[in-house]
Amino acid sequence: MNTDRLNIANLRDPSIRTLHLTWVAFFITFVVWFSHAPLLAFIKDAFQLSSQEVKALLILNVALTIPSRIVIGMLVDKYGPRIVFSSLLLASSFLCWGFALANSYEQLALFRFLSGFVGAGFVIGIRLVGEWFPARQVGIAEGIYGGWGNFGSAAAAITLPSLAVAFGGEDGWRYALACTGVLAFFYSFIFYWRARNTPKGATYFKPKRSGGLEVSYKVDLIFYLAMNIPMYIALAVLVWKLSPVNLGLLTANAALGINCILGVLFIIQFYQILSINMSVFKEQAAAIDHYKFKQVAILNWAYFVTFGSELAVVSMLPLFFMDTFELTPVTAGLLASGFAFMNLIARPGGGWLSDKFGRRTTLSILIVGLTVGYMVLSLVDNTWFLPAVVIATMACSFFVQAGEGAVFAIVPLVKRRMTGQIAGMTGAYGNVGGVVYLTVLSFVDISTFFLVIAGSAAICFIFVQFLDEPEGHTAEIMPDGSVQLIDVS
Amino acid sequence: MSLAIPKESLEVTLAQLSHAGVKTRNEDSIGIRQPSGYLQSTKGIAAVIADGVSAAEGGKEASEICVQGFLNDYFSTPDSWSVKKSGGVIFNALNRWLYSRGMQYTKNTQGYVSTMSAIVLKSRSAYIFHVGDTRIYRVRNNSIEQLTKDHAVAVGDGQTYLTRAMGLDTRLDIDYQCIDIEQGDLFFLSSDGIHDAMSMIELTAIITNQKISLDQRCQQLHELAMDKHSRDNLSCQLIHVDTLPTFNKDEFCRQLTQLPFPPLLLPGQRLDNYLIEKELHSSNRSQVYLVKDTDNRHLIMKTPSPNYSDDAAYIERFILESWIGDRVSSSNVVKIHQPSQPPTALYYLTEYINGITLSQWMKENPRPAVNDVISLVSQISKGIRALHRKDIIHQDIKPDNIIIDSNGVPKILDFGSCLARGICEISVPVERELVLGTADYSAPEHVLKRPINHQSDLYSLALITYEALAGKPAFKGGLVRSNKVKDFLALEYKPSHDYNPLIPHWVDGAIKKALHFRPELRYTELDEFIFDLQNPNKEFANPIQKPLIERATVKFWKLACAALLLSHLLWLL
Repeated sequence: MNTDRLNIANLRDPSIRTLHLTWVAFFITFVVWFSHAPLLAFIKDAFQLSSQEVKALLILNVALTIPSRIVIGMLVDKYGPRIVFSSLLLASSFLCWGFALANSYEQLALFRFLSGFVGAGFVIGIRLVGEWFPARQVGIAEGIYGGWGNFGSAAAAITLPSLAVAFGGEDGWRYALACTGVLAFFYSFIFYWRARNTPKGATYFKPKRSGGLEVSYKVDLIFYLAMNIPMYIALAVLVWKLSPVNLGLLTANAALGINCILGVLFIIQFYQILSINMSVFKEQAAAIDHYKFKQVAILNWAYFVTFGSELAVVSMLPLFFMDTFELTPVTAGLLASGFAFMNLIARPGGGWLSDKFGRRTTLSILIVGLTVGYMVLSLVDNTWFLPAVVIATMACSFFVQAGEGAVFAIVPLVKRRMTGQIAGMTGAYGNVGGVVYLTVLSFVDISTFFLVIAGSAAICFIFVQFLDEPEGHTAEIMPDGSVQLIDVS
Repeated sequence: MSLAIPKESLEVTLAQLSHAGVKTRNEDSIGIRQPSGYLQSTKGIAAVIADGVSAAEGGKEASEICVQGFLNDYFSTPDSWSVKKSGGVIFNALNRWLYSRGMQYTKNTQGYVSTMSAIVLKSRSAYIFHVGDTRIYRVRNNSIEQLTKDHAVAVGDGQTYLTRAMGLDTRLDIDYQCIDIEQGDLFFLSSDGIHDAMSMIELTAIITNQKISLDQRCQQLHELAMDKHSRDNLSCQLIHVDTLPTFNKDEFCRQLTQLPFPPLLLPGQRLDNYLIEKELHSSNRSQVYLVKDTDNRHLIMKTPSPNYSDDAAYIERFILESWIGDRVSSSNVVKIHQPSQPPTALYYLTEYINGITLSQWMKENPRPAVNDVISLVSQISKGIRALHRKDIIHQDIKPDNIIIDSNGVPKILDFGSCLARGICEISVPVERELVLGTADYSAPEHVLKRPINHQSDLYSLALITYEALAGKPAFKGGLVRSNKVKDFLALEYKPSHDYNPLIPHWVDGAIKKALHFRPELRYTELDEFIFDLQNPNKEFANPIQKPLIERATVKFWKLACAALLLSHLLWLL
């Protein structure tokens, strides 16, 4: 009845129905989250924005996602995925309408900043899919969920410019954005109506506290604390970017205030991490709880360069195509969608490759691939033959998204018991990557931007070499079908 | 597969003494039993003191029966039983035995009567059972505390009269308490010959004197009591807690993870002589396969989900499932199958039942005969009672967990949520999982995280009964949405005969009573529920069949008055 393969057409199976409901919800959050990117040409014209202001919008869009993940995670713990996802969709529809009706740059910035909250939807669906699928299928189900959901940004790039043109007039883009809001609004009710937190009749166990990560060694505790610093640096740089010194979106006092809040959050988080892990100073952790934090850190950085660069590139690519090749917004959006298009197969495919050909090898090859890919993209200029550019972006994006899939194929193998926390931290790092790369973009030209990504990916390649292949008992299937358990640890 | 139990045991030092004193006969009895290994882990260490009532003929014999009976029977109770249940059952049995022996005498001054105090030290707790005026004290940090209350009244002239004792009456109230123990605690049991003869200060000075051994302390108490002209038998016991079982998580987890998790299995593969035929069910917690053994017999194999390979609490619970199944024997509970050779991976086998689950049965029989449902429910209750007899609460009785075999016999499956009190009492170095049951079929106390008892299973059984009869869930399916007390109180109970008029009112009344929000207002025992399903209870009779004066008293008198008035008016006309 159940096999490794997932029959996604079997809509009579409630778990498959839930998978579809969930990825569509995630898909819509991605449409909403990246609805601005393909419409930037219109927005830029309507508000007479400088390119620095446009880039600030792009960064603002991903900034709030970093802290939101933690908030959303706690809400899901308390209220369950169904109500949280519905509420997020409902809230996102109002944010869409707010952005569509904005009539000053400050309002645009505010609504883009708040939209960052919508980007944290990923966490909810991962939890829901984990509840609905048994171990055999959960990997592929989450691959489909993540990949098809991320495709939402491509869908936005393909449809929204055409929609804006179809509505016509100088406010066409506003109607197009409002449409995404309508979609989110209605789907929030559909989701609430059809989705359920757990399979019918499933036995509940009291959920475990999903606080901070527990580490096994003193060195790892320092390592873990250090790994939290980049998140705050990324946010602090963003504040600086918006402060009077730079763009002047924030007053000096507001910037100071936000920095103080960040400082307080930083101290709270340090305190929490320490209080959870005080036992490492007293005694050695039990053998069953041992794991190496470096595994988590390496996966974090790998997701930083893969998902982080995807967020950044998806945000800037339509405008880049339009400016470089003098295209209409519709064509530019269509061609740029090629980058996110590969999500449909690349992300689940990355997980499959990883299972098949070894985790470290697969991830290494994929990172080499994306390094080369970004180097190629850095060479693109208006002399290039357009189809070649599209092929280059699609090839590059294959490696990026397969890399994402490969990272998430390893996440559950680091420490089963803490998969949720490790996945959460890895996801947050992806967002930090987005903020960092977009901040870089605001300082340098596009060619350098791609080179920076390629450079960071090359460094990440070195990190990945330190990744240990997950170990433990493995089973060997003998020719007669008998299962032999081999202890490889 | 054996249960993982912390290896480090409770270490104690013991001393005891019993002496006739100035009397000719020693009617006190004392005894301590300290087993080792598994028996100590599951049952602990027990000490008993009993003081036979001298006015009664069989005083000496009574106290001996109490002590010997307790020490023998307590360690023979099922390992799944909690100390409370074991102690309570034995006290009551001993009481009845003494009472029946006493009945053979004609005069009431004769008979078999004794006081009795027992203490059991298990894992990190002490359990105390007490009837009469023997005493148990605890010394902690040099301060002494009397844990038991004397069941005696002074009748003047230095005489006391026992208000409660073993063998006095068929009914017995036992004082029970459970307290935590700490390293260095000293427990002291004594009969009135000792504690009535001296002051608390003298007593404390001797039993806390660390310069001398426990034996010497007992000896000194004896000497002091003699010096003070104690008129009674002299008995005392001392138990010093040297070390508590320590929590070594590594050792505990090593026991748990001796067997590796099997991989996810595919049809055609073979694990330890069992050929996988197909996967019947899988969830994010476990996989269930249909397998065939070497004799071509079908069996069911359950394997843990790799999602939990490093979760000690999950593994402990998984191992406990087969342990529980092994201990319950009932034709209405699925049987655990012992593997023919030691398994090489973590899994367990149960008999294969060719049948349908109760949920399928309900779908196929939307309008079942009331008698059929009652017969099924009474058989299911037999299975539940078999678990309860072992002090195990199932906690997850639902139609999916009941399978009806080809002969129509229902059997309870899945011990994955069971609460085995005897095991819960053993502290382990990991935080245990807390079962919250299944939203549609669990009692309010599960959701509200209140104490669970066997009436929680009764509630689930009543929900099933309702659904099977009415074809609709009770409370119009509102249980799923209830999380707070006020949600539960707001639930509307729609009588089952509204859906199916063939359901007698008294059957619905029994169901409604079993579904009371407060456990103490449900049936006390499953048997009573089943009895009321099978025999009309007048309390729940159809109101239409009652005389009008009972159904609507006020209305009846109003009508009567109106009729009288009318007849008067008519007469006047």
